[in-house]
Order: sequence, then structure tokens, then C-alpha cells
Amino acid sequence: MLLRPRLEDHLVIGKYTGKIIIGVGLLMVVPLLTSVVLAEWDTVLDFVISVAACLIFGFGTQLLCRTERDLSWSHGMVVASGSWIVATVLGALPHWLSGHEGSYLDAMFDVMSGYTTTGLYLLQDLDHISYGLNMWRHLLTYAGGQGIVVVALTFLFKGAAGAYTAYVGEGKDERLLPNVIQTARAIWLVSLTWLVVGAAALTITGMVLGQEPLRAVLHGLWVFMGAWSTGGFAPQSYNTLYYHSLGYELVTIVIMIAGSFNFALHWAVWTGNRKELVKNVEMISFAVTLSLTVLIATFALAKAGVYPDAMTLFRKAFYQLASGHTTTGFSTLYSRAFVTQWGPIGLMATTIAMAVGASACSTGGGIKGIRVGVISKALLQDIRRAVSPERAVITAKIHHIKDVVLGDGVVRSAMFITIAYLSLYGLTAIVGTLYGYDFLQSAFEGVSAASNTGLSCGVTSPSMPAVMKVLYILAMWLGRLEFMSVFALGGHLLSMVRGRG
Amino acid sequence: MMSRSARVACALAALALLVPTTGCRAEGTPEPSPNDPSSMTLVEQPKEYDGTDVTFIGEVVGEAMKRGDMAWLHINDDPYYLMNVEEGAQLGGYNSGMAVWLDAELTEKITYYGDYKHEGDVVEVAGVFNAACPEHGGDMDIHARSLEMVRVGHVVIDPVHPWKIAWAIGLSLVAAGVGALTRLSRDHPIDARR
Repeated sequence: MLLRPRLEDHLVIGKYTGKIIIGVGLLMVVPLLTSVVLAEWDTVLDFVISVAACLIFGFGTQLLCRTERDLSWSHGMVVASGSWIVATVLGALPHWLSGHEGSYLDAMFDVMSGYTTTGLYLLQDLDHISYGLNMWRHLLTYAGGQGIVVVALTFLFKGAAGAYTAYVGEGKDERLLPNVIQTARAIWLVSLTWLVVGAAALTITGMVLGQEPLRAVLHGLWVFMGAWSTGGFAPQSYNTLYYHSLGYELVTIVIMIAGSFNFALHWAVWTGNRKELVKNVEMISFAVTLSLTVLIATFALAKAGVYPDAMTLFRKAFYQLASGHTTTGFSTLYSRAFVTQWGPIGLMATTIAMAVGASACSTGGGIKGIRVGVISKALLQDIRRAVSPERAVITAKIHHIKDVVLGDGVVRSAMFITIAYLSLYGLTAIVGTLYGYDFLQSAFEGVSAASNTGLSCGVTSPSMPAVMKVLYILAMWLGRLEFMSVFALGGHLLSMVRGRG
Repeated sequence: MMSRSARVACALAALALLVPTTGCRAEGTPEPSPNDPSSMTLVEQPKEYDGTDVTFIGEVVGEAMKRGDMAWLHINDDPYYLMNVEEGAQLGGYNSGMAVWLDAELTEKITYYGDYKHEGDVVEVAGVFNAACPEHGGDMDIHARSLEMVRVGHVVIDPVHPWKIAWAIGLSLVAAGVGALTRLSRDHPIDARR
């Protein structure tokens, strides 16, 4: 029986959602200051309006939802998923006010794509947008990569024990440290350290490649954010093809692969446990599936004779596949070249890489390496059981920070989320096909959206049907939050309508 | 049968879906590409044009990235090559163009590169199109022999809109007011009175 939520439930959800939106408003101060420094006065106003709107919502909910209660499990889930929607609606204001979006829906698409570190976009005339708006696009993806709840946990939640539920609701469940707020700060410590090193490396490379210092610094910072957060946004419409440099590609590969690792793995290495890098089930899973998909794509491209020599072929195949597998979405190809040069097998290999995706509790999306590892191990365990004597006790373990015995619960949970992802991939592919797009291209694009990758083969465009835009927004949201908190929000809304008081 | 509240919720959801699909800038007829083949055609039919001579006109965007005696340029032949969105161009889809590899000396002719504050020079280059350039890691590019100026670009002034000033002031005042009220009332929880 569904119980209708009480006033206290609404108050606690409103209060914490408001806190997160205040966090979003404070984030906007960074692009605002960027535009002030670079004298982009119309963009400055866009951000003043947007910051004010976020603060009105945030303070308004604090005013209307005054409560001393802490978050319960279901509250945390609803806050996590609901706040992403509100943050998308309000975060879209700068995009829409810029005049570069065909509609408010398009602006929301881009912002959801940023928060969820997807990287698909509908913004038009990207090559003429302001530095402030470009800063906002990349900051969205950097903050979204860590999680906007993590942002709020770090700065705005003071000792709320129930905050852990909102953190879990955002698709992360690793406690790097005993306290969830310390965990959030540890995530930021890792991310900011990488930011300094990665952005510096890209800046220096950019200057060597012939960029002016200011542009090299900004491009370095933004491309780092796009790579580390596995977001895939880039400041120019040519994406990373713009740089025409093996050096730039290598630096971005290192950053995007690092960004796709589990924060628990980063923390283990950070605290001296370097062996984890070779023992961790997600690392093994990533190495196996990346190698396989690169092999398939390389074979198909070699057969088609697209590239002139083996080195060029490997460079192109590895970059796109690493980008797809880490769910980053950077590309050194024109979008349509996936269709016109890579062909069906290349498209399929990239789709598989995107579908599998990155590590759990990382900035990336997709089914995740740990689930692929768990399901593969469980399958092997079943085969061993089938061929062993009846009385033999067959157990299987995976190694993720520590050895974990594979129980039915772990396998069932991995299967459930995997099936949910596969269903979502299937739905987006079918809807695209129903709208007249080629099935393989629809599958590529749908998987790209739902796995938060952002590679495009040309289906995503400002002129695509509004229903597909809405579906992709939902797919990005569901994929990033890994379903549970969105289901909790759905249950909450249903109980408001159908529940008994 | 749906309850009244459910019907209201459905109506609001439908409205919420409809409203955002309306634009703040109407879509019009976008400027067509001046090129045949255009950048879009080259990407769609790379095999047909691979190794052929092409002339390509468009706006130079970003910067010239010099690599020794040579340089990279990015030339867009998209709907914004004559006028960009900041100047009031109709929205016409994504940017599109071609990467061009040429003698660095030729880039000295360029005055403006397209970005937020500039509409870049429109230039014409002539050279060979490569679907997967063997010299440049398989990138799709044009190796240009010549560069001619078609139209010098200009500084773009995106005017500050008065209505934005009014909204910025109004909303900032409201935010400050709500913030002050929140601070004053934070020690008085609503549910504590119940």
C-alpha cells in the first residue's frame, strides 16, 4: 500500500533540494567572473539572472521548508534525482539567454548532457559563443562528474548523517572515508589535484601547438574538464580534432582513462596501495573489453582500407574506442565519419564499448566494468558448478579494493542494473528507428546518450524530433543516476497522487 | 479512473513539455554553403572526393596554429560564415567546416579569426582534399596551396539588452530579500510547531 507523503517529508526534500540548487547558483559565479574579466557584458547579465534565479529557488525552499529533520533513505533518493531535474531547468538559463539554443528544451538537453557528463549538445554556432558560456558548459560537466550532490555535500551540508543517502542516490556508493562529507572532500581532493596537473599539461601542449597563452590556458582547463569528467565537451565544434596533435591526444587519453576509474581505486592508489591498479576487477574488465572492441574496429577498418597505414589506423581506432569505452565522447573524427568511413562494424564496436562504459563510482557512465566482471565471474562459476561433482563447493571471488565473495545478492543486483541499462539502450534505439533513423545509427546514438558518452554519428541535432530530445534527456538522467533514485522519485510522485493519507 | 489531482498533474506535465520547445530566437532560412562540394558533402562522401582538387570558401575560426613553416586553419562554410548568432544570424544548425593545412606565411593575410567577439575573415583556399590524411594521423583535411581573402572580418559587438538589465536587477533584489528572510527565520522550523 502506498502512503501519501506527509508535510514533513515535503519539507525535508524541499530543504535539501534547495541547498543543492544554491550550490548550482554558486557554481555559476565562476563563469560570471570569467565574463567580467573578459568584458563579455551581455553574458555577465545572463549569469546574474541565472544566479539570482537559483538563489531565489534555493533560499525560497529554505524559507518554506524549515525543518530540523534529517534525510531518510527515500528522501535522499528523491532529493538526488529531483535536484538534478531542478538544476537542469535552472542551469539551462544561461544557455537559453545566450540565444544559441533553438528552444528551452534544447538548452535543458545541453545542461542535462553536461551534468551527466554525456557531451551531446544542441547548442548552435558553438564557435562563436562567449568564454563565459564555454566556462559554464565545462564547469557543468566537471561538477556533474563528481556529482552535484557531492558539490553540495562538500560545502553546504553540515554534518547531516542522512546525506549519505543523497550521495548514494547520485549513483555513487563507495565510502572512501568513514564520513560521507569527508568522502566527498576526498573526491574533490583527487579531482582538483588532477585538475592542476592535467590542465597544466594541456596548456603547455596547446602553447607548443601554436595557441596563444590565454586560449591555451582556457582550452587546457576546459579540455581537462571534458576529459576528467568523461564529459566530452570541447570548446570548438571540431572537438579534439581541432588540435591535430598526437601529443594532445595522448594527454587526453591518460586523463579520460584516469577519470573513468572508480574513486575508490584512486583513493587506494593515493593512499599507497598501487597493486590495486592491476588486481582490481574493473581494471581487468576494462582492459579486456577495450582490447576486444579496438580489435574488432581495427579489423573492420583495415578490411575497408579507410586509413593509409597500420599506425594511423591504430591511432584513430584506439582514440575513438578509448573515448567511447570511458564514456568521454571526445573524437578526432567528424560525427558523420562514423557512418561514412567506419561503417556498420566500426559503429557496432563503438556502441559495445559505450554500452559497457566506465567504472562504478567514477565520473563515467554505462553498465560499468564491475557489473561486467561480476556477471562474467558468475557465469564462469555456474559453468564450473555444472562440470564439477554434485558435492563440490564452488565459490567465486572478485577483487575490488578487497576480496569479495560473489553471493546471489551481488549477482542479482548487477544483473538488475544491467538489464535496466539494456532496456534503456533498446528503447532509445527503437524510438529512433520509429522516427525513421537507421537502426544501427539509432542504437549508436541511444547508447551514447544512455551511457553518458556523447559520441554522435549525426542523429543528435537541433532539428531532431522533440520526443527524441525528451527521451535522450531522460536516458542521460536515468543512466547517470543508475535508475534507483529515479525509481524512488517516480514512487514518491505516484504516492502523492495515489497514496493513502 | 484518474483522480482530479492526477489529471491536474498530467495537464501540468504536458504544459511543461510544450513550453520548453518554443524558442527564444526563431529559426529562419540558414545561409547555404558557398562551396560545391561543401564540408558536409565532403564528410558524407569522403571516398568520392579523396585526393581531388577542391576550392573551399569559409570563415576562419579560432586561430592559426603554426607548426614550423606550416599551420593549421579551421574554415567554416556553415550558416554563420557571413554573420554569426551574436550578430543576429538565424539559427541554422551546427558549425561545419574543414581543417586546412597550409604554408604559415599565407596565414599572415588573415586579420580576424571568428569567435565571440569577432566574425572571422572569409577566405578561399585551393588544394587537395584528404579523406584520411597519411601525413596527419588519418585526419580529414585539405592541404591548401593558396589562400585568397574574400572578405575581411570585423569586431562583433553583442549589445547589452536593456530587458536583461531590468531582470538582473529585479531578480537580484528578490534573491537578496528571500535570502534575508531565510536567515531571519531559520531558527523557527515549520514542523516543530505541529
